[in-house]
Amino acid sequence: MENEHVLDLIPEYLDGSLDKETMKDIQRHLEKCPQCQQETKEMEALLKAFKSDVVPVPSERLRSRFEEALEAEKASMGKVVPLPLEKKNRNWASSVLKIAASIALLVASFQMGSVFQQKKINQELAQLKDENLDMKQTAMLSLMENQSASKRIQGVAYIDEFENPDESIIQALANRLLNDENDNVRLTAFEALSKYTSSETVKNVFIEALEKEKNPSIQVAIIQTLVQIQEKKAAEPMKKLLEKEDTQPFIKEQIKAVLPSLT
Amino acid sequence: MRKFTIILAALFASAVAQAQADYTKSLSGIQWVKIESKANVIVKTHNSNELLIKSGPSVETPERAKGLKLVGEGGTDNTDVGFSVIQDGSTLIVYNLRKTGDAEIYLPKNQNVSVKSTWNGDIEIDGFAGEIEADAQLNGSVKVTNVNGPVTANTLNGELAVTFGTVKQDSPISLYSTNGAVDVSLPSNTPANLSLSTLNGNVYTDFDIKAAEKNGMRTLLGRNIKSTINGGGVSFSMKSTNGNMYLRKK
Repeated sequence: MENEHVLDLIPEYLDGSLDKETMKDIQRHLEKCPQCQQETKEMEALLKAFKSDVVPVPSERLRSRFEEALEAEKASMGKVVPLPLEKKNRNWASSVLKIAASIALLVASFQMGSVFQQKKINQELAQLKDENLDMKQTAMLSLMENQSASKRIQGVAYIDEFENPDESIIQALANRLLNDENDNVRLTAFEALSKYTSSETVKNVFIEALEKEKNPSIQVAIIQTLVQIQEKKAAEPMKKLLEKEDTQPFIKEQIKAVLPSLT
Repeated sequence: MRKFTIILAALFASAVAQAQADYTKSLSGIQWVKIESKANVIVKTHNSNELLIKSGPSVETPERAKGLKLVGEGGTDNTDVGFSVIQDGSTLIVYNLRKTGDAEIYLPKNQNVSVKSTWNGDIEIDGFAGEIEADAQLNGSVKVTNVNGPVTANTLNGELAVTFGTVKQDSPISLYSTNGAVDVSLPSNTPANLSLSTLNGNVYTDFDIKAAEKNGMRTLLGRNIKSTINGGGVSFSMKSTNGNMYLRKK
């Protein structure tokens, strides 16, 4: 210890906060070491300077001026009514209220959490539903191209799964009605489309089908639907059917009966 | 000279036998057999995986046509039994070129079969477990018996009669006629979603059909009856525009 520098311990030494042994050791070292002596002197000077420094205190005048300003401010703010101190016997009620409030907060935050969770689940469900609809649409469109008439009918019947079928589905059904070689498929496609007669596409498809269709069952079904929605454009193809030799007699009678209502 | 005559006679006999032989063709790789005919067609099942067209006495060629080929809308007779058989991908197209007489065709039980009669021919199909499509476009009738699979059938003026064994549930059944009656027999325990519709005909059935009630009124007289039997199942649609409909328990 005697030969080691004690620079680190100087502040404590000067402060007198070290134990006697260490104090003695440091004294002995300081006697021999000019470097540490120098350091001690400087530190001593610094501490003295700290102690002799005067802390400025606000004057009495400043204080009174502040008080005045505060009073003026209070006066301008209007009267502050102190809350009546709660009496001791109401303390239990307030703590119950506090507990109730914290429980309410807990419940509310839990509810919020579950609401958000539910929202998220709903979103995911909606997304799933969308994906499900997409899958159904794909299945429907591919079934409608199947070689088997029964499968094509199954594809057409899938229309019931869609609340608002989009244009591609309507178009695929129209394609079946106009071009399918199987009469049963065409008739099923007609029945599926007849639920969407508000669509211009569907009306036009029906008129086109009436010009093309050879199966009397489908002809009569189309005629009835077009008359029901009072589609004036249907009059022309109906007249053509009347003139055709191979049109079945009951179709001609049907047309004769309904034509006046369209013209 | 006498020997020569015998040989000649033998040759002639074998030639005749050749002409009278049934026609067969393997069906490996074939998914659908499509038959088209103006005359009556009877389609039955047999146990080998091939198409067999019987040449009955009714399909004898006239004496004058010797050495000549039968031709028609569907092509040229390439079977020697009055049929044109053409493979198109996985479909075998079988045209009956004759306009008279009964054609008898045998196919394996699980074959998917489509039969079309374009004139007066009646169609009879018996015993299949695959899919059946039958279309009598003019005056022919359709009679389908002992089938399990989906049936899609349509007639214009002829009667449409179908007798089912166990009804497969995977694909819809659709039986339509314009002017003919539609007559269907089902096992009484068949689950199905029925749709019976007619414009001018009547519906008769011994199934317990509960018509949807509208404001407390039963709409039995309605044009479209929708009902489930045995808890509901495969979509089963029957329609005749002008004919009656009969739905029977088997």
